[in-house]
Amino acid sequence: MPPLDEDSRPRLAAGCRWSEGRGADRSVLSPEGAILVKGTGRDILEHCDGQHTFREIVNALAALYTLTDVQRIRQEAANFLEQLREKRIVDF
Amino acid sequence: MSSGPLALIAELTHRCPLHCVYCSNPVEMQKSTSELATEEWQRVFDEAATLGALHVHLTGGEPLARADLTELVAGARAARLYTNLITSGIGLSEKRLDELIAAGLEHIQLSFQDCRADAANLIAGARSHRLKVEVARSVRRRPLAFTMNIVVHRQNLDRLDEIIAFAEQLQPDRLEIANVQYYGWAFPNRHALLPTRPQVERSLVIVQQAQERLRGRMRIDYVLPDYYARYPKACMGGWGKRLLLVDPAGSALPCHAAGVIPGMQFDNVRQKSLAWIWQQSSAFHQFRGLDWMGEPCRTCERRSEDFGGCRCQAFLLTGDAQATDPVCSLAPLHRIVEREIERSNSNAGNAPPERDTAPPSPAWTYRIDPT
Repeated sequence: MPPLDEDSRPRLAAGCRWSEGRGADRSVLSPEGAILVKGTGRDILEHCDGQHTFREIVNALAALYTLTDVQRIRQEAANFLEQLREKRIVDF
Repeated sequence: MSSGPLALIAELTHRCPLHCVYCSNPVEMQKSTSELATEEWQRVFDEAATLGALHVHLTGGEPLARADLTELVAGARAARLYTNLITSGIGLSEKRLDELIAAGLEHIQLSFQDCRADAANLIAGARSHRLKVEVARSVRRRPLAFTMNIVVHRQNLDRLDEIIAFAEQLQPDRLEIANVQYYGWAFPNRHALLPTRPQVERSLVIVQQAQERLRGRMRIDYVLPDYYARYPKACMGGWGKRLLLVDPAGSALPCHAAGVIPGMQFDNVRQKSLAWIWQQSSAFHQFRGLDWMGEPCRTCERRSEDFGGCRCQAFLLTGDAQATDPVCSLAPLHRIVEREIERSNSNAGNAPPERDTAPPSPAWTYRIDPT
């Protein structure tokens, strides 16, 4: 599988979608169950629409958190997305 | 009171063109004439969603045997449930598949009995393997999440490499390799199905290697035979805790096999709402939580993890549904499972039916279709 790079466009994998509710308990539904995503994880996933590149997502997160350590955000977001790809929740 | 179920298991029918020797349906099945009507299922879907369920697993029998399946999928999606179809694929034409997807089907789990046609057909008691391969190809050509499920056991675990390679060709998103669980029709067939310890140990290595090789491409989940486990599984995620099953005739059960336990009273969705059943039905209360437990479960530090294991298995093996699941190494009656394991690992009295022979060996008990 191609590694995640700056031009990857992450998206929810086939068979995964957001639950209908938009409140605090919003979760991603997958064939096996539901993942309740909160905090940073939710911020990352909500940007994974298959349209935006990973570079754009990292920049958006940096702006959201008004952080300057972009390298750290990039690393943490990449780890998170790689883990979700292994679970077949995310594709890129 | 507990929170609502996470998922509804909708056993739409017990009719099925296959006769698998390890079918999880109860040995006493519901007749087609007693099946819930479309609008009754619609009410069940609506009530399940209101109770908080996120998923519906449409299963059977063979759910494709229901002429109204497309309507049911649309109804489940209208109720905002994630819609999963668990099927043998027999009866799934390209046209019907397109209709199901258009109705909102989100995921399909297609079962296979083996990677080889002759062995698969022997287990299924029907010439179904080649049709299933065609269905798998049709599914993969469409934008639908696709899981392949292959049941493994004593007769086919030695070709696990070949089974994984077969699955790879069909390119599912997920491969579930599930050892037989010994309830339903599998229980009387267990001596021909329970693998040996060396088979189980080799299988773990093979699965792990395949998981690493296919990482990110095809997820592999492996379900071990719990007879070989040290501790029992948290059956259904805890009794009456996460799942609610409605059978073809509308009875609501905490699990597929609960009907084997004597004295259980199952309420029916024709008479009661799903909310009433979940909260009030005696069947759902019987083993819910921790209060019903005796020793050693009651004081075990794992009691909130595995809930004493499977009640149906406890009953099948010990005659007492209150007993600690005997697969647990801490169970007072663990020797029952040890004897099964010993038998499986010796050659005496445990000869499997001959593979690749026709007609099928009389050693099997085949699932019989309800009338």
